Amino acid sequence: MNPSEPAIQFRDVSKRYVIHHNRPQSFQELLVSLVRRAPGSVEDFWALRDVSFSIPHGETIGIVGHNGSGKSTILKMVAGLFNPTSGKVSVSGRVSALIELGAGFHPDLSGRENVYLFGSIMGIGGREMGQRFDGIVDFAELAQFIDEPVKHYSSGMYMRLGFATALSVDADILLIDEVLSVGDQHFQDKCLEAIEDRKQRGMTILMVSHELALVQRFCHRALLMDHGRLVADGPAHEIIGKYLEGQGS
Amino acid sequence: MNPLMRVRELYAYRELLKNLVARDLKLRYRNSVLGFAWCLLNPLLMMTVFTVVFTVLLPSNTIDKFPVFILAGILAWNLHTTALTGAINSVVGQAALVQKVYFPREVLPMATVLSNTVNFLLSLVVLFAMAWVYQVELSATLLFLPVVILVQVIFTCGVGLILSAVNVFYRDVASIMETLMLAWFFLTPIFYRIEDVFPTYSRLMYILNPPASFIAAYRDILYYGSITNLTFFSRTAISSVLVFIVGYILFVRLSRGFSERL
Repeated sequence: MNPSEPAIQFRDVSKRYVIHHNRPQSFQELLVSLVRRAPGSVEDFWALRDVSFSIPHGETIGIVGHNGSGKSTILKMVAGLFNPTSGKVSVSGRVSALIELGAGFHPDLSGRENVYLFGSIMGIGGREMGQRFDGIVDFAELAQFIDEPVKHYSSGMYMRLGFATALSVDADILLIDEVLSVGDQHFQDKCLEAIEDRKQRGMTILMVSHELALVQRFCHRALLMDHGRLVADGPAHEIIGKYLEGQGS
Repeated sequence: MNPLMRVRELYAYRELLKNLVARDLKLRYRNSVLGFAWCLLNPLLMMTVFTVVFTVLLPSNTIDKFPVFILAGILAWNLHTTALTGAINSVVGQAALVQKVYFPREVLPMATVLSNTVNFLLSLVVLFAMAWVYQVELSATLLFLPVVILVQVIFTCGVGLILSAVNVFYRDVASIMETLMLAWFFLTPIFYRIEDVFPTYSRLMYILNPPASFIAAYRDILYYGSITNLTFFSRTAISSVLVFIVGYILFVRLSRGFSERL
């Protein structure tokens, strides 16, 4: 990580999804589609169009916009999951994402085994994970059940463990995608506190949320997305105002 | 990202590879009473089946010390087939993870191949025991055994990378492979000697089918107790490394589309 570079930079980034109506999922369909090319079976959808912005290290930024405006696509590109169709995405520093975890958990393994496995998926070694382990269990409030297979966990326990594990990753950039609506009030508050703490420590945070109050609370700056285009970039309260205006009309 | 940078990144994620292998092994034996004894029992049972079929039901078979002969073939083939069938679904089976977290995806098929290799190594105990029972004279060529295993693992990783990546885009791969593996089984000299069945084409059969060469090498070492033909085996090694390189490059290329496609 180089502090003089921006943490995240998008330069004229576009992302096209090719929507295949009846996309061949098997060789049989592939062969048929080669012989009979159904007209208009392929359609382009631009999830992002010429999006440019730059986020310096240590800033907390919210992305707002209606469903399908390209918010999550931006996060997936920062996470390295999607590649831009054109333009350039540069990210400096380690990225961690607060996504609905549990995805990486194996039901037959215990909570403890899953935490270590997930750590290594995030590129964190066993020794480093060992130092954080107690903190994770404590945060998730699962000390009693940590050696049980996670298939016996309730959905709340599952989610708490996932969150606690993801939060323990010492990343430079934290991505948050609509996840804070899960869990009970007590745990939500705890998560918000943890995020606030990361923010104070200078982590760069990029959050996508429909909960405007959350964006207002955490972010100085926000981006407004509309049909894949970045339509406004400025102080969070102004952007939220614009977004609400746009929805009203 | 070019493949060389990917290799460096793979090295950084070596702990993930290790953990995935450990997870595979743990899960395989966790809910079974006999646990890892199965990797000894399975080959013994299969050896018994083949020996009964080819010495009692088909007594025309003239291969000496048949249990040792067949075991060398079965163990190598088991590694081949379990590693590949596991690898094919290794990426698709972890779709939820691949869609949400970035990590070098090649660890998934590679971990499957490696965990099956660990099983194979444990099951070699049975082969050594049978070689002892049948008084095969083992010589210093035994030192060459790790090289043969390494080459087989490289080959299997290469094929596993190709199959797992293509299976993300066309799920037929998994279905086709079920039948193909059966054909592959019969075309590989597991319960016969390639020179007996394909006397004129034996060279061609070895060239087209690296597993045939692996089995020949295992037999040279553990059944005949002789040194394997080094020029012959180095050709197999070279083609295995080539398969691996092609597989790795193809995988890296296709893996860019994994998150979107799954």
